[in-house]
Parts: sequence; structure tokens; C-alpha cells
Amino acid sequence: MLRVEEISFSIGHFHILQELSFELIAGETAGIIGPNGSGKTTLFNTLSGFHYPQKGKIFFQDQDITRLRPYRRSRAGIGRVFQNSGVFREMTVLENIVTALEGKTSLWKSLLYSPKRLRALREESMSYLEQISLADKAKAKASSLSGGQQRLLEIIRTVAFGAELFLLDEPTAGVSPRMKDDVINLIKKLQEDGKTVLIIEHDINFIKEFCERIIVLDQGTVILDDTPEKVAGSEKLHEIYFGSTAA
Amino acid sequence: MEYVIHLCILISIYLILTQSFNISFGLGLLFNLAHVASYAIGAYATALFATELGANFFECVVVSMLLSGLFSLLIGGISLRLEQDYFAVGTLAFSALVSALLINWKSLTRGVLGIPGIPRPEFLSIDFYNNLNFLFLSGSLAIFVLIILYLLFQTPFARALKAQAESESATKALACNTALICNVSFFISSAFAGLAGSLYAYYINYIDPSSFSLTEMVFILTITVTGRPGSFIGCILATFFLVLLPEPLRFIDMSPGILGPMRQALYATILFVVVYINRRNIFPVKRSV
Repeated sequence: MLRVEEISFSIGHFHILQELSFELIAGETAGIIGPNGSGKTTLFNTLSGFHYPQKGKIFFQDQDITRLRPYRRSRAGIGRVFQNSGVFREMTVLENIVTALEGKTSLWKSLLYSPKRLRALREESMSYLEQISLADKAKAKASSLSGGQQRLLEIIRTVAFGAELFLLDEPTAGVSPRMKDDVINLIKKLQEDGKTVLIIEHDINFIKEFCERIIVLDQGTVILDDTPEKVAGSEKLHEIYFGSTAA
Repeated sequence: MEYVIHLCILISIYLILTQSFNISFGLGLLFNLAHVASYAIGAYATALFATELGANFFECVVVSMLLSGLFSLLIGGISLRLEQDYFAVGTLAFSALVSALLINWKSLTRGVLGIPGIPRPEFLSIDFYNNLNFLFLSGSLAIFVLIILYLLFQTPFARALKAQAESESATKALACNTALICNVSFFISSAFAGLAGSLYAYYINYIDPSSFSLTEMVFILTITVTGRPGSFIGCILATFFLVLLPEPLRFIDMSPGILGPMRQALYATILFVVVYINRRNIFPVKRSV
């Protein structure tokens, strides 16, 4: 489904990604971990089109998307959940989903007001909100939701928009322990539905619960790519987080 | 009575002008300070086509809207690459450029002398030199434009425009071509400003660059901010309120030299107070990846 071939990305003399390669097959869930500054979010920005790599290629469903703009990648089926909440806080919860459902509408159609279509989209949106138990807050402003609810809304919005590959950037950051379970359940639901998921997380114990594979980044390159058990027991991981092991 | 009709005509023109600004600025938070330049282009296009080429009302309106719209694509193509404050400065530069052209391209615009003798529209054998008849024309057009814009405010386009105002990256991640959406909002916004300019030129029969100065932009901005950016009804109410507000000043025994600056000071004060009260809501910080 996703093939990243030796991509490099630099800003000035600062090399953020260096000949980074990995592959994801359809329906797989993989975690990405690494210390601060290892290039995790930059990798996501490169995959979703907010940065273009200076070298290397990115293929999604066998299509070269290296130079595609972000909205074209989204249309191809790449969904992104941002590290800093990407919900539209000034809109209602319902409007957030309606906007996602309308994302792929052509310009001409988007300039036409169709009450019938809007009604249908609202009904469809309600069904998504029911999945995350936010139907009763449909008319509330998204800013009134808690951090965890905003996360759920952002993920379900990406589901509504029809993504096949989910790039989740620290989906449980700043989320209360109770809401964390809701976020995890939603991610598990994505897995059950056969979606491909790539998650950035800091907590290896947390992602090994539902990831089949963990990719460890350090200084912009993949240093480990294995099962959660093997990665957790790896000396290399210990080294990058805590410095070199004692002689 | 003539005075009331005059005020109603002004309100109809300003309804078109401010509600069109409310699309790009109110919904999209695109701080386009060149909106007054689009208004000027519409007015000058009508003035020149009507006086020099003898074009009829419909031809002048279409040409004014198209030229203003095309001008906005030029601004959008360049300024939309800039972000927030820089974008506002970029559009202000365009506005200054148009203003300089209006003053200095004397062979076309007659500079500060302006263009006199713009004939009122002629069709259906109606005498539009009668201000009441002109009010029916401008009022009908204002209502027609407001209906179109009201429907536009309910469309997916408007929601995408609002979404990009909050988080451009999140909107892009939902498959929206934000650059296209912003440019189209500019085009629509400016085209209707061009229509307002055309009506203004027809009504006043004479235009010069002073009618399209930065002071006029401050007035448009005051109306939109007072009505709350993005609020359709708020913008309409604020137009009525602010166009009529300085009128009682006319009945005070005061020299015109003081009255004019007082009117401007009043608008500037209102703008400052409204911005101060809503300082956290009017310009929310844009989020990025």
C-alpha cells in the first residue's frame, strides 16, 4: 500500500530525513517511535505532502505521489490526524464531519446549495458521531469538547472522508486515561475494518498493544523495523533513548 | 424625501460592497485590503465604458464585475503566497498601486479631475435620473445579490473557506484545494465589489480617486467587523447602522470642514472599540502542522 524509497529531506544544512525507506502492506498497523528530533512528524509531513523530499520516492497504491500536493494525496486516500488538534474549533461538531464528507466535492458542485444533499450529509454525519458517542454534542462548538473528544472527532472525521491509510500523530497525547481507551478502541475498529494505520507514539508499551510492527527512527533514518517484542528488547533502542550501554 | 431616497441608495450599494467583503474576510479571514481597489475598478470601468464607448447598463455591469474579478485573481495569485499579516500588507500594496494608477494615468482616468458626466442607465423607458427609480434598480440588485450570497454562505464552498481560515493544513488533509477555494472567494468577492462600484458611478455621475481611498476601506472594514465577520445578518444590520449613524451630525450647526473629519473619527473610534472588545475572536491564530 505505501512504499517509501530512500527519501531525504533537509532544511539548510540540517538533515531531517536521510535515505529513509520502509514499506507498509494494506491492512497493517505499524508504530513509529524515536527520540525528539528523530524526524517522525517530518516523515508524516512528507507522506501527506506538506514537505517534498529532496531525494527518494513515495508510492501509494503503486502510484508515485512524491510530488503530489497535500489535497491530492488526501483524495488518493491518505488521511492525517495532526499532533496539534486539527479540528475546526469554531465550527460545530456536526459541521466538522459534514466538511469532511464534502472534502472531495468538485468546485462547481461546492458552489451550489442543495438542502436535500445537506440533509443527507447531516444524517450520515450523525451516524459517525454515534460511533464515538458524540451525537448528543452535534450542535455544540468543537472547541467545547475535551482534548480526548477532539481526538476522537478528528479520527472519525478522517474515517468519514474515506481515508484508506491513517497517519496518526500522537493520537493520545494530552488525553485523559479514560478517553485514551476510547481512542484505542477507535484505532482497533480501524484495524478491524481493514484500514492501514501508521501511528507516531512515544510510549512503546502503549503501541505494542495493537501494532504488529514498530519502526524506530533516529536522526532521520530507520534504525529498527521489527515486531514490538523484538524492538522492546533491542539494545539499539536502549542506546538511542538512554545513551550507549555501559562497557 | 429626496434625502431619504439618497440614503437608501447608499445603503443598497454598501450592502453589496460589504457583504461581498464578508465572503473573503468574514468567512475566509483573508484580510484583503484591496477590496476598495476592486470597487474602484468597477466604478472606473463603468465610467469609461459608459462615457467613452457608450456601453449600456448591462454591458457596463458585466465588464465592471469581470475586470474587478480578474484583478482579484492577480492579487490572489501573488498575495495568497503570503501569510496573514504579510498577506494584508501585500493586498494593501495592490490597493496603493491602483490608487496611484487612478491619480497618475491621466490619459485614461483624468487623474484627480475625475470622470464627470456618467449617464444614468437607460432601459425599459424608465427614467433613472429620477432617484426613486434608481433606488428600485439599486435596491433590486442589492436584494438579488444578498439572496445569491446568502445561498453561497450555506454551500460546501463556504464551509471549506471557513475551515481553511481555522487550519489550512487540516483542510488540505480533507482533500480541499485551499488555494483554489481562496482564489474563487476572492473572485466572487471582488466581482460583487465591482458591481457596487458600477452602481456608485451610475448614481453619483462623477467619480474621482478620493472616493476609493484607504478611508473608504476603513469604512468597509468597520461595517464588517461591527457586524461580526462571517455573520450574514450582522453585516446587513451593521451596514444600516453605520451608514445612518453619522447622518444626525448633518443637522448640527457645524462647518463642513469639521463635519467630514468628525465622521471619519467616529468610524475609526467604532472600529477600535469593536476590535478591542472582540480582540480574541476576530483574528484567531491560524494553526499549521
